[in-house]
Amino acid sequence: MEVAVMKNKLKVYRAMKDLTQEQLAEKLDVTRQTIIAIESGRYLPSLPLAFKIAKLFEVQIEDIFFNK
Amino acid sequence: MLHYVHMNRKKYNQLRAVVILFVAAIVALAVNRNSYLLSVAGIVTGMLFLALARFTAKIRVDEREVTIREKAAQFTYAVIAPTIGISAVLLLIPSRGNISVFSKGEFLYIESLGMIFAYLTLFLITTYAISFFILNRKYGGGSNEE
Repeated sequence: MEVAVMKNKLKVYRAMKDLTQEQLAEKLDVTRQTIIAIESGRYLPSLPLAFKIAKLFEVQIEDIFFNK
Repeated sequence: MLHYVHMNRKKYNQLRAVVILFVAAIVALAVNRNSYLLSVAGIVTGMLFLALARFTAKIRVDEREVTIREKAAQFTYAVIAPTIGISAVLLLIPSRGNISVFSKGEFLYIESLGMIFAYLTLFLITTYAISFFILNRKYGGGSNEE
């Protein structure tokens, strides 16, 4: 089974909103470690969390998460 | 009215370390005094206190931690089940055969230990199979097509 390599621009969008990792974690109701893991690409968020992130930044999911 | 203690993960971990040290001290004291009741009381009190602290502190468990727990449980099962299964076989075979070292009576406890391991392996596999069946149905793995 081929595992798709997913990349994301979470760090960019977070910087655009001027949010710290802690603040973003609070808004998404996750831990800061999860934000760090997502930003570094070591953890793929679930679909509900991905939707939550997209809604928070008012963009489509594929604007933040994309296949490379 | 319920009052929730403001406690973050760091404070909870510190409290947990203190409680674990306390329980360890109680158990050591119980072993020293040869009192099973004291050790059981210490462990149960520690567990209840930590459960209460965790409940009141509302420790956040997010999806990444759940994923980690799932993978850790999967890894633990993958290691434990074969280990105790093979151990059961290794302990039971010599006691069944006519190997002089394991002659009947001398190493009876080895056979008993083998039996315990064998039942434990069966229990593990059965639990896994039942939980797999239930979760498979829960997450739509049934065969009813529409």
